[in-house]
Amino acid sequence: MGLKLIGEVLSNLIRKSSTVEYPKQPPLALQEHRGRHYADLTKCIGCSLCALECPTNAITMNPLPRKLKQNPRGIYPIVEYGRCIFCYRCVEVCPVKAYITTNFFEMGSDKLGTSNDLSMSTLQGIE
Amino acid sequence: MSLIEIPVGPQHPALHEPIMLRVRADGERVVDVQVVTGYNHRGAEKLGERNTWSKDIFLYSRVCGICNTVHAQTYTQGVEAIGGIEVPPRAQYLRTLIMELERVHSHILIAAVMAEVVGFDSLFMLMMRDREPVMMLKELITGNRVLSDYYVLGGVRRDIDDVKKDKILKVLERVEERVKYYKKVFQEDFTISRRLRGVGVVKPADAIRSSLVGPTLRGSGVKSDVRADDPYAAYGEIPFNVITYSEGDSLSRMLVRFDETLESIEIIRYVLNHLPQGPITIKTAVRVLPPGEAYSRVEAPRGELFYHIVSRGGDKPYRVKVRTPSFHNIINGVIAYREANIADVPVILTSFDPCISCTERVLIIDEKSGSVKSLRLKDLSKGWLGGS
Repeated sequence: MGLKLIGEVLSNLIRKSSTVEYPKQPPLALQEHRGRHYADLTKCIGCSLCALECPTNAITMNPLPRKLKQNPRGIYPIVEYGRCIFCYRCVEVCPVKAYITTNFFEMGSDKLGTSNDLSMSTLQGIE
Repeated sequence: MSLIEIPVGPQHPALHEPIMLRVRADGERVVDVQVVTGYNHRGAEKLGERNTWSKDIFLYSRVCGICNTVHAQTYTQGVEAIGGIEVPPRAQYLRTLIMELERVHSHILIAAVMAEVVGFDSLFMLMMRDREPVMMLKELITGNRVLSDYYVLGGVRRDIDDVKKDKILKVLERVEERVKYYKKVFQEDFTISRRLRGVGVVKPADAIRSSLVGPTLRGSGVKSDVRADDPYAAYGEIPFNVITYSEGDSLSRMLVRFDETLESIEIIRYVLNHLPQGPITIKTAVRVLPPGEAYSRVEAPRGELFYHIVSRGGDKPYRVKVRTPSFHNIINGVIAYREANIADVPVILTSFDPCISCTERVLIIDEKSGSVKSLRLKDLSKGWLGGS
């Protein structure tokens, strides 16, 4: 039996590698992966359900810089990624499906990022 | 004759998590082992009393990393019993599917760790490689390799289609072939056999008296499995066998896990081929529950997991008591170390499939006077629990 396992180990020398050279090659995260998510401000109605339901209180509601027709309260959610556990409870409870989800996970940083810039980018080119 | 006391852990090359075994030995022979926990306590039970019913699903999923879906299952089925919530059949089948996938990867993991502990590192690497496709399947279904967060009160969050079903079946075919191969390695390999056979024997009567659970109990020849004894989710409709081995040593505990992995793969095939049509979750959101009480139990990969949930009405639980399988297996498993060699201590501990963060409780007992001390949250936040 011991000899058999040596054959198994040696066959790894000629086999394709099981790992990927990650920074050079794209990572193996699937499309389904729960990664970075942010609110689409053209859809958000400012109902605050996501902030209430967030298990880690990572979402805060902040005033919008300008008036939007569908958002009478004039507030929008900011996700603090340092606190977020990526459970996607906010995505699930949103009544207008305003959250844009991605499989992006490379968020290791010395600064705690928020979803503010990404959410603001959804307002570009909209009156 | 004086005994020497050797601390194994909390930092030890063979242990992956912080736990201390105070081994009292007479030369090479172990006389007694005392388990010291308290390095990883997080206060999850207390924290749960401040969160709402649905937020607690995510909290209790994080009690244990590997067993996260079974923790969510035990908590949600208890809460659903209090609230009288009917779960759709398709959701029950999908819950069964994800729990069995978790059992497959958990059992392959502990077999790989066992290979590493006995000093067989190339086998460890090979098994970890072949475990990875199972993690990929979990990510495909739930959205994350480990922390699935798949449960809501009254159902599950994501559905599967035929494309995903075919992919799962295809990957499992390869996994089954590899698990059969590794089982043969564990049965026949000289190194593993010398380190595991006859080591840490637990007799059936001792196993029952010490309340051991799960594969540790079944490795001693006692037929006990919550899935068969008290079916939950869709297990009542699925045919499967309860695996037992009669030897009671470390090797038989590992072989129980290998056979269970193969059995789990059969369960997954049955679930995928008999998946009922219909909704995956109930339509109404659950926020407030009536007063009530529920005992809930589930067969986790490590054994019987038990929750006691008390509701006094409102949107928060009054009390959630968590009793994990490792709590019994690690603390009551000390009977297995007696008469073993010192070098076998990590092997025996690994054969129990220990999960340390599940086990942590805080109760400080003064060894000399026998007095029990309780701690306030303020004392806990200072860190070290006072040295006893």
